[in-house]
Amino acid sequence: MLLEINGLSTYYDNIAALKAVDIRVAKGQIVAIIGANGAGKSTLLKTISGLVRPRAGTIRLRDIDLCGLAPERIVAHGVTQVPEGRQIFAHLSVLDNLHLGAYLYHKRRHRSEIKTKIQTLYRMFPILQRRAQQIAGTLSGGEQQMLAIARALMGRPELLLLDEPSMGLAPLIVRDIFSVLRRLNADGTTILLVEQNARAALTIADYAYVLETGSVTLEGPAGELLDNPRVKASYLGG
Amino acid sequence: MRFRWSWLQTGIGPWPIENALMETTTFTSQLLQYLITGLTIGSIYSMVAIGFNIIYNVTEIINFAQGEFVMLGGLVMVTLHTVAGLNLLIAFPLAVGLVTLIGVLLDRLAIRPIRNPSVLTLIIATIAASILIKGAAMLIWGKNPHDLPAFSGRDPISFFGAVIQPQYLWVFGFLVLIVVILTLFFDKTIAGKAMSACADNPHAASLVGINVNRMILLSFILSAAIGATAGIIITPISLMEFDRGAMLAVKGFAAAILGGLGSFPGAVAGGLILGLIESLGAGLISSGYKDAFALLILLALLFFRPSGLLGNAQVSRIKRF
Ligand SMILES: Nc1ncnc2c1ncn2[C@@H]1O[C@H](COP(=O)(O)OP(=O)(O)OP(=O)(O)O)[C@@H](O)[C@H]1O
Ligand SMILES: [Mg+2]
Repeated sequence: MLLEINGLSTYYDNIAALKAVDIRVAKGQIVAIIGANGAGKSTLLKTISGLVRPRAGTIRLRDIDLCGLAPERIVAHGVTQVPEGRQIFAHLSVLDNLHLGAYLYHKRRHRSEIKTKIQTLYRMFPILQRRAQQIAGTLSGGEQQMLAIARALMGRPELLLLDEPSMGLAPLIVRDIFSVLRRLNADGTTILLVEQNARAALTIADYAYVLETGSVTLEGPAGELLDNPRVKASYLGG
Repeated sequence: MRFRWSWLQTGIGPWPIENALMETTTFTSQLLQYLITGLTIGSIYSMVAIGFNIIYNVTEIINFAQGEFVMLGGLVMVTLHTVAGLNLLIAFPLAVGLVTLIGVLLDRLAIRPIRNPSVLTLIIATIAASILIKGAAMLIWGKNPHDLPAFSGRDPISFFGAVIQPQYLWVFGFLVLIVVILTLFFDKTIAGKAMSACADNPHAASLVGINVNRMILLSFILSAAIGATAGIIITPISLMEFDRGAMLAVKGFAAAILGGLGSFPGAVAGGLILGLIESLGAGLISSGYKDAFALLILLALLFFRPSGLLGNAQVSRIKRF
């Protein structure tokens, strides 16, 4: 198991946002978390990446305990989050954003490796190459999402956490982004994907969890959830 | 006769009306003198404003101890250079280093220990620190102003009827140097970009592996170093005493607001403009109101144009060179 979460509870002041959540992500998988607004999906990812401290439970990456580590330490262990709402560095150029994605190994001896990585990402997202010098805050929403993903990939993550990559994007762009995710996964990146767009998420995922008001209420292979009547009624529009 | 171009005396004083009527050339040269001295003191305000902005951009804190860095720079230099007799080239970096250490302590002892900080609590912490630093400085250096020898003597250079102290040129030179170094730092180094990233979005910065606390520390280090430099180069012109920090902080803050809080080009322009207004106001209106000009401008701006003269709200959010 690459990531193993047991009994995870996170509170904001005294309000529980996650209640004893158990989640497993095997190496090489795409695992999806679906759920309504306010279900605690973002809280789950923020807790994993150290932005929010859990009140109880464990988060293990292989045999490393991630609980209580600072976000920058967790990134160094190979877990990178693409946060909700992109959160690119809006006042910096696209290229600067990419360089900062590789912040942790930004040493001179890695310079050519970083260049190669940027070229690879440009092939994946050609628009970013054309926009390289543009201030990132002026990119369109879809371009910003691509940049956010590309920035995360610059850090060579073993586990990629994505918080609603499809939010606010046109169906064609969503399709592009999901096909990139599938390709990344085929190349060996394990993905934990939080989505409101349940159909798209379940289509590319191997396994999925349904989160409702902070608790996992349903889990199973993604294909089975797609056919589950409860999931159909609540998340797939009947 | 040897001029003691103390800042308070420099070119500022009641203007003899009869002279003005008789000799227009003298008037022009006097005006030029006001401009030169205004730009000199304005350069110092720019440096203080830059110091404010560096910390503000990363933390949104207004560091009211910024003026104390300037005061400490001058007085530590007095001790190292005049009292201990260290060579200028050794004493200067050493004084900057020592003040920088105070900046580190300020972050470590006053800022970081506060749990669940609000920006307001942190600002109050910097005010408390500035009072403490001022008190300590009074115990160490006493209440009298101290002097430093000018870097390259005090032989005035005449310039179209006005006089330029060689030390003024050092002040301009250091402002240019600081701007160049900071521009290179923010544009060319990954640490500078990481700092801009923290200013932009601290959460996202930590998600790419940037240690935000370390960047905050770095911002205090840079601000302290720039403040100390300002203090060292201005002391030969204006002397330095333990309680100068607060007024310098007010002036620097006014300059930063004038240029749009957070904007570095704005800080430079704001400082120079403020220096000019002060010098011209003191020379042409009354030197008694010298300090009042900055406060008036500050109040007027806060009332009417809080985003700064040079910016709209949008521009003032762009926090880089
Ligand atoms: N910083 C916070 N302080 C207090 N409560 C919070 C905070 N962040 C989230 N919450 C609350 O925690 C609950 C879970 O929020 P979370 O952002 O994890 O939901 P989500 O599943 O990501 O929702 P969405 O699909 O709308 O993004 C919500 O009720 C929210 O109001
Ligand atoms: Mg969310």
